[in-house]
Amino acid sequence: MKTMIISSLTKKRWERFKSVKRGFVSFIILALMIFLSVFAELLINNRAIIVYYNGHLLFPTYSEMIPGKKFGLDYDYETNYRALEKKFRKEKNGNWLIMPPVPYNPFENDLKKGKYPPFPPSFKDRHFLGTDNVGRDILARVVYGFRTAIFFSLILLFLNYSMGISLGCIMGYFGGKFDLFFQRILEIWSNIPFLYVVIIISSIVVPNIMILVLIMAFFGWIQMTWVMRTMTYKEKERDYVLAARSLGASDLRIIFHHIIPNTVSVIVTYAPFAISGGIVALTSLDYLGFGLPAPTPSWGELLLQGWTNMDAWWISSSVVAALVITLVVVTFTGEGIREALDPKMHTIYE
Amino acid sequence: MIAYFIRRLILIVPTFIGITIMVFAITRFVPGGPIERIIANARQMQAMHSSAGGSTGGTGSVAGAGQPLSVEQINRLKKYYGFDEPLLKSYFSWLSKVLHGNLGRSTRYYDPVWDIIKARIPISLYFGILTMILIYGVCIPLGIAKAVRHNSGFDNISSVIIFTGYAIPGWVAGVIMLVVFSSRFDIFPLGGLTSDLFSDLSLIGKIKDIAWHTVLPLLSYVIGSFSVMTLLMKNTLMDNLSADYVRTAIAKGLPFKKAVFRHAMQNSLIPIATGFGNNISIILSGSFLIEKVFNINGMGLLGYESVVDRDYPVVMGILVISSLLFMIGNILSDICVAIVDPRVRFNKH
Repeated sequence: MKTMIISSLTKKRWERFKSVKRGFVSFIILALMIFLSVFAELLINNRAIIVYYNGHLLFPTYSEMIPGKKFGLDYDYETNYRALEKKFRKEKNGNWLIMPPVPYNPFENDLKKGKYPPFPPSFKDRHFLGTDNVGRDILARVVYGFRTAIFFSLILLFLNYSMGISLGCIMGYFGGKFDLFFQRILEIWSNIPFLYVVIIISSIVVPNIMILVLIMAFFGWIQMTWVMRTMTYKEKERDYVLAARSLGASDLRIIFHHIIPNTVSVIVTYAPFAISGGIVALTSLDYLGFGLPAPTPSWGELLLQGWTNMDAWWISSSVVAALVITLVVVTFTGEGIREALDPKMHTIYE
Repeated sequence: MIAYFIRRLILIVPTFIGITIMVFAITRFVPGGPIERIIANARQMQAMHSSAGGSTGGTGSVAGAGQPLSVEQINRLKKYYGFDEPLLKSYFSWLSKVLHGNLGRSTRYYDPVWDIIKARIPISLYFGILTMILIYGVCIPLGIAKAVRHNSGFDNISSVIIFTGYAIPGWVAGVIMLVVFSSRFDIFPLGGLTSDLFSDLSLIGKIKDIAWHTVLPLLSYVIGSFSVMTLLMKNTLMDNLSADYVRTAIAKGLPFKKAVFRHAMQNSLIPIATGFGNNISIILSGSFLIEKVFNINGMGLLGYESVVDRDYPVVMGILVISSLLFMIGNILSDICVAIVDPRVRFNKH
C-alpha cells in the first residue's frame, strides 16, 4: 500500500538539493541544531540528568521539582544538584548523579563572593562562554534563546504564509477591482511603521511570545501576498489553466489543484529567508527592549548587554557568533533550495 | 504611457490618506500621550513640593492625591494638542495644515517639526549617498566578474562571503565591530559623527575626523546589501550571455569581451534599474538600528526616539515624508525601467 506518493519531480528536486553541497550540509546542521535545542534541558540545566540515591534511580529533568529533603538535605526547596554532586563525592557511599555538560539553567544567577559579574569564560566553573552582567550562564542563554527564536520564526512563517498565500492567490486569480483595491490596502499596510505598533502594544500589555508572533504576523504577510499575487497572475494565463477551465473545473479546484502546486517551488524558496527574517526581527525588538519580557533568554537582550558593557567581549562575541552561524546556515540552506528548485542551466563560453 | 504615470500619481492620494489616517488614529488610542506626560510631570513636581514644603500647603495635598491639574487645565491642554475634537475632524485639520506646509510643533522640543527634520536630513543623506555609491560601485563589477568566471574558485569564494554578509544584520555587525575595533583595539571611535573637539580642528582635520567616524557605520550599512544586487547582476548577465543574440555575435567572430560589454551588459542593467527609484527613500530614511548603535543623529534615530517618546507631530511628519518618498520612488523605478527597456509599455494594467 502506498501511504505517501512522492512524485518523480519531487524526488529529482531532492536529489538536486543534495548535490548542492553547501546548502545540504547547512540544512543538516540546521536540523541538528533545532533537534538539540528541543532537548536543551538534557544538555544545559541545573537539574541532574540521572540521580542514583539509596538504590533508586531518579530522572529530575522532566519530572516535578524534587525538594532537597528527599536527598537527606535540610531544605524544602528545589535540590541544588551541583552541591549534591559534591556531597555525594565526599560521602562515597555509592550514590551518584550525572549533571548535564553545562550545569546551569538560563535563569539562575551564579554569583561569587567578593566579585561582580560578568565573569569571563571558565572551564573550571563550566561557564564555557562566561556569564552575563547578572551572572547568568551565557551558553545557556544563547541556546535557549535560539530555541525561542527559531520556534518564533517557524510559527510566524506559518501564519504569514497562510495569510499571504490565500489572499495573494485570490487577488491574482480574480484580478480586477478586487485586486486593485487590495493593492492599495497592501501599500498602506506596508507603510505603517511596524515598530510603532509593537511599542504601542507592549506599552498596553506585556507581550508574551504568542502576542508578539501575532503582532509580527499582522505586518509580515504582505511580502508573501505580493509574491503569490504575481505568481498566480502569471500562472492563470498559462494553457494548462485554460485547459482545466474548459474541462469545467471550478475556481477552487483550479487554485488548489493546479495553481498552488505549480507555485510551490517559489513558496518553498522564500521560506528560509522568511525564517532568518523572523530571527532578526525578534532579536532587534529584544535589543530595543520591546520584545519578550525580561527574564526570557533572548539574543537581543544579550546583544544589548554586550553593547552597554563592551569590556565584557565574551557577551557580544558569543551571541554574535551564534547569530551569524544560525543565519548563515539558514541562508545557505535557502540558497541551496533555490538552486535545486530553479536550476539555471547556462551556456558558458570557454 | 503618460496616462499610466498620471494615474499612478493620482493613486498616491488615497494611499497617502490611508497611511496617515491609520497612524493618526493609532496616536489617539495609545496611552502615554503628551497630556498624560504633562500630568505625570505635574504630579512629580507636586510630590517634590509637598515633601519639601512639609505640612505648609493644605490645598495642595487635597488635589495631589489623584489629579494635579484641574479639569479646565486638562481641557485647555486637549485643545492645544487638538485632542478635543473627533478623530476625523482633527485629522482633516492636521491634513490641511500639512498641505499648507505646516507640520506642526514637536511636543518634546516645542520646535517646528520641519526644522527638526531638516537638521537631520544632511546626516542621513551623507550616509545614504555613500552607501549607494559603494553598493553600485561594488556590485556591478563584481556581478560581471562572477558571471564571466562562473563556477570558478573566485566565484564560489565570493559567493560565500557575500552570503555571509547578507546573513548578518547590519546593526549586529555594528555592535561587534564596536566591541572589537573601538573597545578592544581602540582604532575607531565609539560612535557619533564628530569628536568632542571638532570645532577646533582645521578643515583637513575636520574631514579626517568625519571620515574616521564614518568607516564603521558605513560598513554596517553596506554589509548586507551586496548579495542581492551582485547576484541579480550575475544571473541576468548569464541569462543574456546564453541568449541567442550573444551566441550570434560570438558566432560571427566577435571577441568574447566585446560580446559581454557591447551587447549583454546593456540588457543586464535593466533589472538593476528596477530598484533605482527606491533609493530615494532608502537614502533619506536610514536605519534607526544602525544609527542607534553608533549614536548618529539621523532621520532613523529621530523617528525611533519620537515613537518611543510619543512625540506625535514628529512621528506624523516623518511618516508624511517617508511615505511620499516611498511612493514616488516606486513610480520613479517604473520610469527608469521604461527608459532603459524599450520593450516595456505600460498601456494596460
